[in-house]
Amino acid sequence: MLAHQMALESPMVEAEMVEAMEFPELSERFHVSGVPQTTINAGAGMVVGAVPEDHLIHEIQRALRS
Amino acid sequence: MVNRLLNEDITRQVSEFFQQLQEPVQVLFFGSKNNCDYCEDTRQLIEEVVGTSDKLGLSVYDIDQDAGLAQQYKVDKTPGMVIAGRDGDQILDYGIRYSGIPSGHEFSSLINTLVVVSNRDSGLDQQTRDFLSKLDKPVHLQVFVTPT
Repeated sequence: MLAHQMALESPMVEAEMVEAMEFPELSERFHVSGVPQTTINAGAGMVVGAVPEDHLIHEIQRALRS
Repeated sequence: MVNRLLNEDITRQVSEFFQQLQEPVQVLFFGSKNNCDYCEDTRQLIEEVVGTSDKLGLSVYDIDQDAGLAQQYKVDKTPGMVIAGRDGDQILDYGIRYSGIPSGHEFSSLINTLVVVSNRDSGLDQQTRDFLSKLDKPVHLQVFVTPT
């Protein structure tokens, strides 16, 4: 939901909700263990759990620097 | 007569919740005839949801037959959905996707996403909006969820 809100807000953001059990290969590739898990730019960053906006932003900033 | 996925209660609740919808939303559904266990249920689910408000529209595509369109909208899994805005004939792609069936907890997320897109307002904190407005690199978020 938060990811979708960010996508609506910014043309630079795309957000895809993935049903983990239907796509086990992708889930395995990103080592999904707990849900929701948010993967940023194909693994450059990652957040587990439902987190507040500032937390996700912090992780996005870190992923963009890496 | 196909059994409905949403019972009367849920249908009424969703329909009442959708009274707040402002602008048209177009859902682009991509299914497949091959190896897609959840395509039919997902198509039926979104059809029932879209049917609860005249602000919502649905286009149904096949990822193989409509491969060009799938590529244009970056849909690479089935069932796949793009939750877009619509302005006349124009589809407004905000980069909002679902891969897999949005059931269980994800059903309420789908309903909320439809509202957010229809109202063209993310509802995010000002600080978050400020950060996003300064983004100069693409950010691709993939949120892994399970139905329960």
